[in-house]
Amino acid sequence: MAMQTLTLPKQDQTVEDKIQQLRQLYADSPMGKAALENSIPALRQQLAGALRYESAGRVGLRQGKVSELTLIFKFVPGGAKRLRGLLQMLQANFSAEKVTTVHDMRFVFLDNDTKLLFATAYDGDSWDSYLDEFATKIPDELDLLFSELEEFPGFRDPSVKDWIAKYQIPAQSWYVAHPDLTVVEAARQKRVNKAVEEFLDKIG
Amino acid sequence: MVTQTAAANGPEQDLAPEQQLQKLREVYAGASELGRAALEKMMPELEVAARLAQKATINGRIGIRSGKVSEFTLMFKLKPGGANRLRTLLGVLGGNFQKADEVGSVHDMRFVIFDNDTRLLFATAYDGEWDPYIVDFSTKIPDPLDALFCDCEGYPGMHSPKIADYLASHQVQADGWYVASPNLTVAETKRLEKIGKAVNELLDKVG
Repeated sequence: MAMQTLTLPKQDQTVEDKIQQLRQLYADSPMGKAALENSIPALRQQLAGALRYESAGRVGLRQGKVSELTLIFKFVPGGAKRLRGLLQMLQANFSAEKVTTVHDMRFVFLDNDTKLLFATAYDGDSWDSYLDEFATKIPDELDLLFSELEEFPGFRDPSVKDWIAKYQIPAQSWYVAHPDLTVVEAARQKRVNKAVEEFLDKIG
Repeated sequence: MVTQTAAANGPEQDLAPEQQLQKLREVYAGASELGRAALEKMMPELEVAARLAQKATINGRIGIRSGKVSEFTLMFKLKPGGANRLRTLLGVLGGNFQKADEVGSVHDMRFVIFDNDTRLLFATAYDGEWDPYIVDFSTKIPDPLDALFCDCEGYPGMHSPKIADYLASHQVQADGWYVASPNLTVAETKRLEKIGKAVNELLDKVG
């Protein structure tokens, strides 16, 4: 897997420059060309917006407080069967609840069970601190989930972060509906809401 | 791309928890030492998980749902030159998907170009059912979607009656899906944010 570097778009272009650049780019795509022309009124508004995401640290994009981590690994022989059995047993009961920085997390088997896509949305100051928290809080669970992947060194091994960075593919774009809402803040808001409802019941 | 059926991913609900754990030990007998050791350490939690009611369900046509939030994971082959166009379009947009804000059912969304610019991964977390989600997008913002996906092989266009079948055939259902707040939709989050703000203002007034 080739490592890609993050190229953030230029921000000094005017909206008209950007539209011009897109028109040139889509000139030889029949469907794209028409779609682009139809989209231009909406695009003008979007293109006037500031860049919404930034680098999440070592690899990946962050929008507000939420970052993306997208990994594609190769399975060791027989690994897909084992991991599928484990995931079926766990269902959605992951110990990720102990790590209060994970919004969502998916395991997807690709290419006839030869590869695994692991993709999450997470909170945190940086890529490094996110992985440190996981490696400290739930190393055994992670060792089990990742043990069937090629070259996996184990979460207690100091090389684990290099291993992850090697297989991470940075997103080209990343959107979050509520970019400033961390998992912890969402939990707090649910508690506030419950307290407000109880209060209203009392005075109602 | 082999499309997986829901049945292939379905849990072995007909097996008793003890049998499920036994089967898991058997499949992990061939794992690395690291994997076997980790499995033994995890056994107490796995026993609990095996006894719990199933939390993840198939959402409509394809994909897994946890609570009210579903995963939507699509893999496409890109046409020659497509990666360059898409990368530039995404760069120019800079994450400004105001239309997704308006649709109001998308938690997060990523575009990942990989395998030397030959493939695209598109993954979202969304609220609601599969079919209305697709219809919502294809009727509200067909043109921006056509610009984004026109370089995917076989893409028929959002106006095409074949679009739902096309998307379903490129979706790869997850085998594992976790959501921190499974009952919190995008709309409910917005409501909670308003309540939180009002409470803060009230408390400020009380002093």
